[in-house]
Amino acid sequence: MKASDTWSADELLTRARAGESSAFAALVRRYQRTVYSIALRMLSDRHRAEDLAQEVFLQLYRTLDGIDSDTHLAFWLRKVAVNRAIDRMRMESRHDNEPLTEAVAVADEPIEDDPLLHKRMADLVAQLPPAARAVVVLRYQEDLDPTDIASTLDMSINTVKSHLKRSLTLLRARVQGTAIVEDIR
Amino acid sequence: MIMRALFRHSMLVLVGTLSFCTNTFAADGQLKIPEFAGLADKAAESVIITLDPSLLRLAARFLDPSDPEDAAARAAIAGIKGIYVRSYKFDQDFAYPKADVDMVRKQLGAPGWQQLVQVRTRAEQQNVDIYLLVEQERANGLAIIASKPREFTIVNIVGSIDMKKLHELEGQFGIPKLDLEDKK
Amino acid sequence: MSKDFEQQLYEALRPVDPEEGFEQRVLARIVQERSSTRRKVTRWASVALAASVIFAAVLGTHEWQLRREQEGLEARKQLLEALRLTGEKLDVAYQAVNREAPEPADDGSGA
Repeated sequence: MKASDTWSADELLTRARAGESSAFAALVRRYQRTVYSIALRMLSDRHRAEDLAQEVFLQLYRTLDGIDSDTHLAFWLRKVAVNRAIDRMRMESRHDNEPLTEAVAVADEPIEDDPLLHKRMADLVAQLPPAARAVVVLRYQEDLDPTDIASTLDMSINTVKSHLKRSLTLLRARVQGTAIVEDIR
Repeated sequence: MIMRALFRHSMLVLVGTLSFCTNTFAADGQLKIPEFAGLADKAAESVIITLDPSLLRLAARFLDPSDPEDAAARAAIAGIKGIYVRSYKFDQDFAYPKADVDMVRKQLGAPGWQQLVQVRTRAEQQNVDIYLLVEQERANGLAIIASKPREFTIVNIVGSIDMKKLHELEGQFGIPKLDLEDKK
Repeated sequence: MSKDFEQQLYEALRPVDPEEGFEQRVLARIVQERSSTRRKVTRWASVALAASVIFAAVLGTHEWQLRREQEGLEARKQLLEALRLTGEKLDVAYQAVNREAPEPADDGSGA
């Protein structure tokens, strides 16, 4: 374990702003999992996720002076990661995955005991449209509440809640093998 | 069953079959919505949106055509001149002036406004009224008034309403499909 | 015993680490960018000097453009929220109408 790993986040920030590369490296170690995971869930490709995650930290390096606390840093990293991912998805307009919509939600075999359930769920999340996918990732990977998700994505809280409700209905239906129409309350 | 048929077989079909006397005075599509002064301070949540023609044009310029949500929104607002929304949620029952909401409903008795749907749900004490302003067989205004004991929403859309495009918003912004396709 | 669906989702979306050496790759990229930036700064210094004169003149216009952009983005956000609310209330009516009446017999009567 490196000495810099024992410093508090605010101390790391102060030192990184002062130009200490070991402090900046410690910040990368501390947040790489968050940033990379957001990129991976959004882009569904390890190489592109790594590339995007590197860009996020590069941007952080350039704009360190504008980060004033650990809380701000966490918010900033999530915001930049998810918004860059959404921008990239829109630019690339990948159509190799058919978006998950009601029309596609045909009954599958129930898979309650499927050992690959988590993988399947992650794959289904990766088929959600960009904005809905971002909301689900921030909620269930980052455990953010709707207010924080709204700030991160610059959406209204009600739009966040709509996306969550809608996405859970879709995902649940696909996983549990029921048709969407019957499931909507 | 009649209400369901009217709604399900597309509001466009409804508009297309109406024969409307062109000499009849038709109301302006824009409703007079009260100020609801001070209500935002009392409300747990409030949404106050006033998009007149110039703001709508400005908003449209910032819609990203490559984004499905933005593209659907752009298509939906073509021909629309204004969108006005007042929506409030409260922590207590009837913390809002019911008379003011009823006053808005009364305006929908003016010539040209046609009631499309009226929903009264006893369990949730929910009322939803949807009206279209029909002029020369075109929908030139939409009004939605929805209320429950702890919330109310007024939506007024002015201009040429393309219900097909509104229908195509399904799947965007978390809006469930309306399933308004004709059932033959 | 089936777990709560949302709990399953939490587990499915558990964060994962990047490949080994990620930190080093980030730092390498920073070093690369710093040396590339230094070269660019030298090359463009004279251009920047000339540009600064013009920049001062257009600063006012730029600020207006930034403000206009902010207004536009806010208007877009409000538009999307308005359309979302509209759809939500339309759906309430649709759901209620759907619950009210049973599926009509498919006899072509259209009633």
